[in-house]
Amino acid sequence: MTTVAAAGPHTGPAVRIAGLGRNFGPVRALHDVSFDVPAGEVTALLGENGAGKSTLLKILAGLQPPSAGTVTVFGEEVTSHDPATVLARHGVAIVPQELSLLQDRTVAENVLSGVEPGGRWFPSRRAMLRRTRELLAELDLDLDPAASVGSLDLATQQLIVVARSVARGCRVLILDEPTAMLTPAEAERLFVLMDRLKSQGVTMLYVSHRMPEVFRLADHIQVLRDGTHVAGWGREETSPDRAVAAMVGRDLAEVTARAGHQGAPEGPPALVVRDLSGRRHRGISFAVRPGEILGVAGLPDSGRVELLHNIFGGDRGTGGEVEVLGSPYERRDPIASVGRRLAFVPGERRAQGLLTTMSVGRNVGALTTRVFSRFGLVRRRAFDRNAADQAKKLRVKTASLDQPITNLSGGNQQKAVLARWLSINPGVLILDEPTRGVDVGAKAEIYEELFALADRGLAILCSSSDLPELLAVTDRIAVLSEGRLVATVETATATEESIMTLATGATPASAPADADGEHRSAGPTAPEGTAP
Amino acid sequence: MTTTTAPARGFVPDLRRLLHAREAGVFAALVLLFLLGVVLSPGFASSDNLLSVGQQISQIGIMAVGATFVIVNGEIDLSVGSVYALSAICTGMAISDGLAWPLAALIGLAVGSLAGLLNGLAVVLLGVPSFIVTLGTLSVYRGVALLISDGAPISLNNGMPGVAEFSLLGQGRLFGVVPMQFVIFAVVAAIGVVLLSRSRLGFNSYAVGGNQEAARLVGINVKRVKLSAFVLSGFTAALAGVLGLSFLSYVQGVTGSGLELTVISAVIIGGAALFGGSGTVWGTVIGVTFIGLLQNILNIKGISSFWQTVVTGLVIVAAVAADTWQRRRKTRA
Repeated sequence: MTTVAAAGPHTGPAVRIAGLGRNFGPVRALHDVSFDVPAGEVTALLGENGAGKSTLLKILAGLQPPSAGTVTVFGEEVTSHDPATVLARHGVAIVPQELSLLQDRTVAENVLSGVEPGGRWFPSRRAMLRRTRELLAELDLDLDPAASVGSLDLATQQLIVVARSVARGCRVLILDEPTAMLTPAEAERLFVLMDRLKSQGVTMLYVSHRMPEVFRLADHIQVLRDGTHVAGWGREETSPDRAVAAMVGRDLAEVTARAGHQGAPEGPPALVVRDLSGRRHRGISFAVRPGEILGVAGLPDSGRVELLHNIFGGDRGTGGEVEVLGSPYERRDPIASVGRRLAFVPGERRAQGLLTTMSVGRNVGALTTRVFSRFGLVRRRAFDRNAADQAKKLRVKTASLDQPITNLSGGNQQKAVLARWLSINPGVLILDEPTRGVDVGAKAEIYEELFALADRGLAILCSSSDLPELLAVTDRIAVLSEGRLVATVETATATEESIMTLATGATPASAPADADGEHRSAGPTAPEGTAP
Repeated sequence: MTTTTAPARGFVPDLRRLLHAREAGVFAALVLLFLLGVVLSPGFASSDNLLSVGQQISQIGIMAVGATFVIVNGEIDLSVGSVYALSAICTGMAISDGLAWPLAALIGLAVGSLAGLLNGLAVVLLGVPSFIVTLGTLSVYRGVALLISDGAPISLNNGMPGVAEFSLLGQGRLFGVVPMQFVIFAVVAAIGVVLLSRSRLGFNSYAVGGNQEAARLVGINVKRVKLSAFVLSGFTAALAGVLGLSFLSYVQGVTGSGLELTVISAVIIGGAALFGGSGTVWGTVIGVTFIGLLQNILNIKGISSFWQTVVTGLVIVAAVAADTWQRRRKTRA
């Protein structure tokens, strides 16, 4: 690791992270992470989902205490882990992923929230406007301090969050995936601001998945994987390929490869998606045949999840067509999907998959109350017998069906959700993050079940942020980047690197032209003229 | 930097902003209601009638000013009707025992503020949702009021020392014209407007109610802000209770039951969101006035009080539905 001599009165790094660890119960989110964040420069933090980036940022911002290790800011160890102290005493501020502005209040009120100039009891509006105007001028932002924040676009709001941190005199700014929600042109405005801050000596640590951006902005690159620090370089010492390799380089042997899969699937497609658009995705087309498993890969902000919800009908789309089992499916909504034998196992298991207050049996049988009822009353015995059968088929390990579902392990919960859908005899199965928070053993069982379902003729659409999983489970992989389908690759010829490259837009030249539409093809790397 | 100098916000721009804000709709509805009243009954617009409406809305209005702070903070106070009774009883008992009336009134106000403080402490320290805490204290404070008065009504008669002066608070008229209660309401509302729109407490209340996590991130003392709001709510409920006692010279343990719903309705009609982060004292004043005028018109037309209850309920739902619709349209655009 290289440590560059810092500018400014303090010599040494702005932030020194030493032996940092964080456990959530038995889960190790961070383990023995050590690296320096050089003062006055931009450090990018890379890592896949679940690599521990967010946990690390939260500890640095004082939102969570570490379980082990220390954080030292400008030579002073951080001992009080709460955001107000970390900001006031050490000058560390975070720009969180979710925007945290008051939509009904003005720019000035947001920027100076909590630090309004004026008397002890009454802030002075005039001074607030003046201070905000000065600050915005200093940051070269052309904004009206009296404008209501709710009327501004997302990108501008992001800039205001940054300005809010600067107003508190922050010397170290942490940005958690600041460009995740922004278009390339919008992101450009943020980069200009970051350059400006850098010229004023602010140290920045930021997370991004977009390689072109990282290699343009960052002076240093640090990589986390599975909660440990695996690599760190100066920008010139590495390449996008090496950075991606460090992010994904994990033992692939742990996942079972798709075995006993017979030849190419035949017959008309069971699921057809044509030019589908909706929230954060547009112009997506593909088809899945019976017996086929199509993977969907893409960064968290690629529109992957939104696409699945649009197909299933949880979210309204804005255009395009879906065909399920040979007939067009308009006016999609979850209830209609059940009738059309379209099943969906969502990625947010706790929030969207489980009936958290109910038993395992009730969870498994949730979709069968109509089938097993007479005169509007549920026939308990038939209902329970079916739930028991389904749970057994999927090897849900539980002491009894009357157990609360939340007592089960993640893997068994996931099997229960899958079992629920199988009782409607689905023809098309959509899964999002099928093994998130699932241990290795249950993972293998879920994979085997997916293979068995495909062999029985189900068309399966499986989205995952876990690339080794997609490579092991699927026949083909559709890669999304910034809401567009950039390529559909044969799994047999794909590698983690090749998919990550497509998904991050690291080398846009390799994106095949046929999958790309005509609109908005600004190209993720095109720096739109404003590079200072 | 091309930003033009924005005018400093004085009173007049505040009024202008009011007309552009969420309150504009309610204000328009209020004007329409007023015109409707004028059309429907000749006596409606007389100064006598309007002054009596002013008198009738004063106590609710005072309580609603405090409640606005709680609701802007994203919390709720269901106990105000009970605090109203408890404070009135404490003051009434103190006067009956021969205490000087200003001191007796102060005792009532202190008891109400303390009740609000306890609400706030339970919310902030125990982390119990304010809906639950104040649902509990709604019952607790009512019970205490019944206990200390032993369930018996307290009547003040002019034979007791200081009662004549005390009664002026609720029954007197400034310059023989404007009901004293209404004057007090106006003062409380004015203080409320300034406090919520100009003071640090007000700024912080919007921050806490709008996004508690963000407020914590920028170093606002969330607990203290919420505590202050609950104390204010307790104080205004107590003030209304003391005025109620002064007005009627009479109070008992069950006085003021259900007031909390009218108070919350007024705040909601005035444009505050139950989720917090929005709402103004101006809006609340409009909401209170709206309810007052509506009931007055229904009264004049001789419509039964049962119908009045139905209509008030419908107005609340309609007001929030209109607001929701307006917001949805705004976010879609």
